[in-house]
Amino acid sequence: MVLKQLELQNFRLHKNTSLNFSDKLNLIIGGNGQGKTTILEAIYYLCTTKNLILASESDVVSLNENFFDTKGNFADLTNDESRVFYDSTKNKKSVFLNDKQITNSAEIIGKFPIVSLIQSDHAITLGAPADRRKFVDSVISQVSKTYLEILIEYNKILRQRSVILWKLKENYDKNLLDELDAWTVSLINAGTEIIKYRISFVNDFNKYLLKSYSQIVENLETPKIIYNTVSENIDSIKENFIDNINSAHNDELRRAMNLVGPHRDDFLFFINDLELKRFGSQGQHKTFQIALRFGQFYYIKDKLGKTPIFLMDDVFGELDTYRSEKISQHLNEIGQSFITMTDFSRVEELNLSKESNIIKVENGKTKIIN
Amino acid sequence: MLIAEPLQKAIDELSKLPSIGKKTAQRLAIHILKDDKESVESLINSLRDLKEKIKLCNECFNIATEDKCDVCKSNKRDRSIICVVEDPSDVISIEKTNEYNGLYHVLGGVLNPLAGVTVEKLKIKELLERVKNEEVKEIILALNPDAEGDATSLYLTKILKEAHIKVTRIARGLPIGGDLEFADSATIGRAFIGRIEL
Repeated sequence: MVLKQLELQNFRLHKNTSLNFSDKLNLIIGGNGQGKTTILEAIYYLCTTKNLILASESDVVSLNENFFDTKGNFADLTNDESRVFYDSTKNKKSVFLNDKQITNSAEIIGKFPIVSLIQSDHAITLGAPADRRKFVDSVISQVSKTYLEILIEYNKILRQRSVILWKLKENYDKNLLDELDAWTVSLINAGTEIIKYRISFVNDFNKYLLKSYSQIVENLETPKIIYNTVSENIDSIKENFIDNINSAHNDELRRAMNLVGPHRDDFLFFINDLELKRFGSQGQHKTFQIALRFGQFYYIKDKLGKTPIFLMDDVFGELDTYRSEKISQHLNEIGQSFITMTDFSRVEELNLSKESNIIKVENGKTKIIN
Repeated sequence: MLIAEPLQKAIDELSKLPSIGKKTAQRLAIHILKDDKESVESLINSLRDLKEKIKLCNECFNIATEDKCDVCKSNKRDRSIICVVEDPSDVISIEKTNEYNGLYHVLGGVLNPLAGVTVEKLKIKELLERVKNEEVKEIILALNPDAEGDATSLYLTKILKEAHIKVTRIARGLPIGGDLEFADSATIGRAFIGRIEL
């Protein structure tokens, strides 16, 4: 699947921008604050209806305007037009697919698969367990709507159960304890399904990670993800889950918190059996983050049978020449990609093919130079 | 904005109703205003009757015009089975099937601690009383298959099993008559997880 054309109106610095893209690599070059990442942001909206950098919609509207509008033409087996329109006077976002309004964003998600490598990705390897869970959950959700649904339900059960825990802390009584038991069983049932999905995902994904990693680094390093949960054995998840929640019972009541379940799990990253978080160098972290995103790309491509669009925001500045060259080789092979860069001096490293497109961005104005 | 006060008041009241927005409320209010006196009287009376003549069955808490609802009054129903539902509209849905010949028990909601609905807010104590007093052999739980409905079913199962009553639960999965190809992927996914051995 490729994005053929993009239109932006009142979208940050882009008052009125219209662009045609290459089916291969699209390089977006410009100084800081000129509107490079904005183009990625718009593409991400069209594919997911969400903001790439978690900014609020009202911040995306150009100064002194009251709406933004973005349209994209995608070509796959058929041609589809996706459009996201936001009215800041009503704080209302409307999404259209081929001119028909979409009310459930799930209808769009997965239709235009997308993978993004952005600055905040450093949190995946350097940040808290929640950042790693978010990465894993987002990848599985892109290929399984069932997983997404169970995850939403599980989060609801967590909130309900914590209300009961709070009440028990205030006022301990037997009836409330029975009520807690009901929510505990729900929690275990939904939680067990989540853990099963995650275990099989990690088993599968490690192969993709290894392949992507080996394409970026020269020496023989073996990356690996280990899922740290209630049980490694798929048959004893429920049993262990029940045991753990029983032994945490008093702690849960004392702290009025859900202390056991997949919402507390972590994913540990290893290179050659050494934990990345403790022993990894800056460069290894960066490489690992990139390999995770390339792994995600191939994983989604295999599972959905569609080639995702790849976004890469200002990543080359942090990489040495060797890895930049490796990555650009990769990018030439994978399909359509959009890459932002601050200066022309490093373009040579990218071995651009004839099909590549270079877009220069200056203060919200674009120019195609080939 | 200058709108005659009675009209504005009617619009405001109507827009409080579920799925009625400001515009629809305005259209309805104008329609009622233009309508002839008899039909408006009839509408007013039907609404008043709804509030004055309809009460809840003191047995199962279904909608009734007397102390007991039509199902509880009937001598053709199997009094050994009770089907537990969330609200009276579920009774209507199940009655339409003509498949069920037992009694009902309307809980008046499901457990939802976030919204402040706990055990004592529901007709659960009353259900236990019925189970003790009557010749009940089976309880069928027919609650919605979401997080709150499931937790309520689990809670009821626990306390009813303590009272040594057979508890069953309606199946969840794919709709009958609907083709597999038309079901949404999440429903099919859940049906796979809940598959049964034959």
